[in-house]
Amino acid sequence: MTNSKLPDFDSMTPADFERYLPELFEHGSGRVSTDPRIQSFLRKNPVCAALVRDLETIAETAKSLLEPAYEPSEAVWDEIEKKLKKK
Amino acid sequence: MNVQGLQMTQNTPSPGAFKRNPPIVGEAEAIEAAKNGDAQAFSKLYALHKRRVYTLCLRMLGNVSEAEDMTQEAFLHLFRKIGSFRGESAFSTWLHRLTVNLVLMNLRKKGLNLVSLEETINPSEEDAPKRDFGGRDLQLTGSVDRVALERAVASLPPGYRMVFVLHDVEGYEHNEIATMLECSTGNSKSQLHKARLKLRELLRNPEQSAQPSGINEVAV
Repeated sequence: MTNSKLPDFDSMTPADFERYLPELFEHGSGRVSTDPRIQSFLRKNPVCAALVRDLETIAETAKSLLEPAYEPSEAVWDEIEKKLKKK
Repeated sequence: MNVQGLQMTQNTPSPGAFKRNPPIVGEAEAIEAAKNGDAQAFSKLYALHKRRVYTLCLRMLGNVSEAEDMTQEAFLHLFRKIGSFRGESAFSTWLHRLTVNLVLMNLRKKGLNLVSLEETINPSEEDAPKRDFGGRDLQLTGSVDRVALERAVASLPPGYRMVFVLHDVEGYEHNEIATMLECSTGNSKSQLHKARLKLRELLRNPEQSAQPSGINEVAV
């Protein structure tokens, strides 16, 4: 992990980009693909652009997982009820 | 269960906390009644929040049996502590924090103390995302299937999964995660990035992902 000092976006290499990507995500409200400072770099480096789009898609889809998807078995409440009655 | 040291403070809610956890109809009345020992009200609170608490436990632990045990502990703890809920944050936010703290405390009790938890956050090289950054451009198709992502998250190494679930799913900030996991914010950011990279890898190679056995998914 690097410190928060960001590289020169004009001379940045794909390796630099990868190293600073966590910081870019953190300081760009999570939207690196629309950060005006790196548009030129992303146009020249489609692999980096694809990586950014994928990571943004994953982060965006993750929000939908907040909705509960799983149901505990009936035994959980039975056990809670049993323990509450003992109190 | 020994809950000594469990943090039950009500911090100032982060912006959007109420937006992400809007009040539920009838919840406020049930909370007040449960504070007065009304067993039916407590049953209602369980019915309202069991799926979310259990889903959180399951995502953090990746194990059905342990997730059910922790769900039980979370609600028993809720029963004991509900009198201290002052409504400064959404009830579900408060309950989630309580659950996260219980799960983390349980992991520490099982031997994942501060040092080993840090190790858990840093999985082995085998589990780490592959460094194929400049390789084939196998971009995801612009959308990720929710079920596929769920399966991939379940396949993450525990440390990656913990940070990803807390940050990207539950919406905690890195400084909050750092406090909860007793690591640095830089570590939290780094692990989140590695988790996303690993998820990308798993989503591009779905055969590597595995659904934990015994999970009963319900329609949402």
